[in-house]
Amino acid sequence: MPSVTRSPLGAFVIKVFAWLPVAFVVWYFAAPLLLWPAAVVVELVARAGFADLVRGTEQAGATLTFATSLKPGTSSAQSGQVIVDVNMLLYAFGLPLYAALVLAARETGWPRRMIVGYAALVPFVAWGVLADFLKNVAITAEPLVASQTGFVAWQREMIAFAFQFGSLILPTVVPAAAWVLTHRAFLERLNGGTDSVPRRSDCP
Amino acid sequence: MLRFFAAFVVLQAVLFGLELTPWAQEYFVVPWTNALAAISAWLVTVVDPGVASEGKILRSTVNGFAVSIEAGCNGVEATIVLVAAMLAFPAPWKNRLVGLAAGIIAVQGLNVVRVISLFYLGQWNMRAFEWAHLYVWQALIMLDVLVVWLVWVRMLPRTGDSAGPTGPPGGPGGRSAAPASA
Repeated sequence: MPSVTRSPLGAFVIKVFAWLPVAFVVWYFAAPLLLWPAAVVVELVARAGFADLVRGTEQAGATLTFATSLKPGTSSAQSGQVIVDVNMLLYAFGLPLYAALVLAARETGWPRRMIVGYAALVPFVAWGVLADFLKNVAITAEPLVASQTGFVAWQREMIAFAFQFGSLILPTVVPAAAWVLTHRAFLERLNGGTDSVPRRSDCP
Repeated sequence: MLRFFAAFVVLQAVLFGLELTPWAQEYFVVPWTNALAAISAWLVTVVDPGVASEGKILRSTVNGFAVSIEAGCNGVEATIVLVAAMLAFPAPWKNRLVGLAAGIIAVQGLNVVRVISLFYLGQWNMRAFEWAHLYVWQALIMLDVLVVWLVWVRMLPRTGDSAGPTGPPGGPGGRSAAPASA
């Protein structure tokens, strides 16, 4: 059995650990910009699928605020609409992980791989953010608010599953999967095989 | 590669769906989480006797600070990902079973480190705790899963080996995380 610390895999892991703090710092400070595309996707999906529920969204830093058509109560004295804030960073920590993996591998055309992976991750960040919002208004909100959403039992179950899957599985799995898919030739070499797949062709 | 990913996604969704069922929660997730808290407390008391566990809670008997091990922090989801990746990847069953046993120990071992580190981080600085809890440790656990899987794939027998009658795809090299064709 090859020693992990002396193997290319060991060297790769050390490089990942070296890049990870850098990637996290860049990710945190560039979050408003990096998360803007995900906010746009959320806005589009919300307007298309939940137009009666969402009046608009507004991004402030890494927070996405949903303005809803829901009222906080039934009393006429209670005016205004319910707004929901979602911390987008909670669903986007896979971005620095993916960046660290790409930079540690540093394959030919790594900037292109970075962009491809980023584009692949954005919809899943949007998934988590939207599921968080839906969970907030349909499940954890007060009954007076949740009842206005009109969701029936099975829809609430779906929202709960989408939220759990979108918060516990997708944010971590998608970056790893995206990296594996965009680094097949690198993995081939890492595993001691010959570089049978041309480098330039393994990035979709 | 596409077949592997399709199987990986399906297995993951099925296992995660099973995890959310009341039966799995009652007979597997809750006992597992409680055991994680107990193991963490047991390890910590070697150097810090002022720590105790109660259910899924790890508590300081000195200052009252406590952490509750919730879903996402008990390592069950990370284990599900690893199990799905190993089952989806073409490999002899013997290698799968050994990989699963060693992999689960590796993932859960790091998860114990996560729980203990968060317990002390929280007593030191809540902002550092939040950062480590919500972002950094999530990434590190997934990195652990990825590395374990890569090591396991690296150790799989090549197709030509006598021990590996059903080696994974990837051409003559056999063992490979990156088959040249789907």
